[in-house]
Amino acid sequence: MTQLRPDIFDEAAVRLDAVTLRYDASGEILSGIDLALKPGSFSFLTGASGAGKSSLLKLLYLARAPSTGEVSLFGRPTSRLTRDQLSAMRRRIGVVFQEFRLLAHLTAYENAALPLRVMGRKEAQYRTDVEELLAWVGLGERMHKRPETLSGGEQQRVAIARAVVTQPDLLIADEPTGNVDPEMGARLMRLFIELNKRLGTTVIIASHDLGLIRQVDAPVYHLANGLLARTSPEPGKTARRRGDGIEIKAEEE
Amino acid sequence: MKRGETSLLPLEDAREAALFFVVGALCFLAALAALTAKSTYGAARAWTAEVEGEYTISLSDAAPQDAQAATLLVQSIEGVEGARLLSEAEISALLEPTFGSRGLPADLPVPRLIAVTAAPEAGDIGRALTATLETAGYTAAVDSHSAWAGDVRRMLGTARMVAFGIVALLASTAIAVIAFATHAALLARRDIVDVLHIAGARDRFIARLFERRFWLLGLRAGTVGALVALASVALLIAIARSSGNRSGLLPELTLDFPDLAILVITPIIAGLASRIAAGVTVMRALKSVM
Repeated sequence: MTQLRPDIFDEAAVRLDAVTLRYDASGEILSGIDLALKPGSFSFLTGASGAGKSSLLKLLYLARAPSTGEVSLFGRPTSRLTRDQLSAMRRRIGVVFQEFRLLAHLTAYENAALPLRVMGRKEAQYRTDVEELLAWVGLGERMHKRPETLSGGEQQRVAIARAVVTQPDLLIADEPTGNVDPEMGARLMRLFIELNKRLGTTVIIASHDLGLIRQVDAPVYHLANGLLARTSPEPGKTARRRGDGIEIKAEEE
Repeated sequence: MKRGETSLLPLEDAREAALFFVVGALCFLAALAALTAKSTYGAARAWTAEVEGEYTISLSDAAPQDAQAATLLVQSIEGVEGARLLSEAEISALLEPTFGSRGLPADLPVPRLIAVTAAPEAGDIGRALTATLETAGYTAAVDSHSAWAGDVRRMLGTARMVAFGIVALLASTAIAVIAFATHAALLARRDIVDVLHIAGARDRFIARLFERRFWLLGLRAGTVGALVALASVALLIAIARSSGNRSGLLPELTLDFPDLAILVITPIIAGLASRIAAGVTVMRALKSVM
């Protein structure tokens, strides 16, 4: 296991400098994390349950501030941003949760369009785009159903549609295949890869499904005991290599 | 929210139904207290205005023709608008509550009474009345009713303050209840708030959702409370009228323009209080997260 060194990219989409996180009086969940991910990169985050994967992702999608250290997104240190600037930055991030977090009283279409409503867009401007997006994730016929009537895989695809509807610069997925069968998991993974390829979105996926991770040739970061380490592929050995159509841009340094 | 769009907050649940009842009940009590305060104030003004410009002159041991002469003398005093000698029948009616309807005992020495009305701008003419009558040789006692009017004023002033205090207490209780309920609603819908927050919603955007919801809740609950208060007052008026309401000591039981204004304003205040309490609570809760 190789400890991640603080690679510094001026143009890093995601950069963590000496980040620690602790909840109240408990011990450190994350200890001195350094991480730099280039725009358009595709990465996995692994670790045992309770290792702090979700906590690390919360730092990345700006749901929590680090106890010490700095989280920078798109070249801007987030600790210096005002609340409105933080909201604006969150709009550049799409998040897929393991438990979907769809709003039960809204239809699949309304859930997918939620970030656009938050941004103040008019429905006439986005209706076609959202319908096309839902068709692309295979929900063209079921877009007016409420989450309770959709299967786990369908709900997850709605959550993915909601995460990407604004064409975010950064997509964060927390165990996105945890509640779906292997076949659906593979389909969802192909969706993420296509997003990365088509839109150049920086993608970070937290997963403990090693079988799924092995299908994609992308850097894997492992969290254990609050420390972040890179486990696969070995740094340097995969530079400029392409796998499954994914360019491993983080390896190009 | 634009027309045709589903609200980002789900429809109200049982908690909001309970809150609706509480806010409605508080608005009913507040409207009733405000109406009472207003009618008490009106009654106090009417009663004191009525008695403050009036005097009663009591002549002891005066023959009927002397009493008539004294009345003419009083009418000539500056500041007197009118003076009238009360008939024996009128005096009997005044004393009826004490002696009954069968008339006064024949051997009862009843004084002659002159009812005097002062001109509005005359001020206190009590001393002038006493001095003039004594100079003319009459044994007269002049009652200006001021002591009674003062008691009425003090009593009604206290009642008014109590009523306003109750209104203020009810209003602040309603605001506290709404703030507490909003906080509970926010906790119950934490998942929705979190999703909106992560999707990039600004604090004001989220606060506006709750403000709109609680503005409508306060407005509707306040309207129901005010309508029930209106019905209650109308019922009281009907009962008072059917029973004759001859005591004259009850506050004015009417529904005039100011009363209706109170009933219209109550739901608006309830709605605004709900909206402000919701907004402040949500903004404060959001400040605790990144």
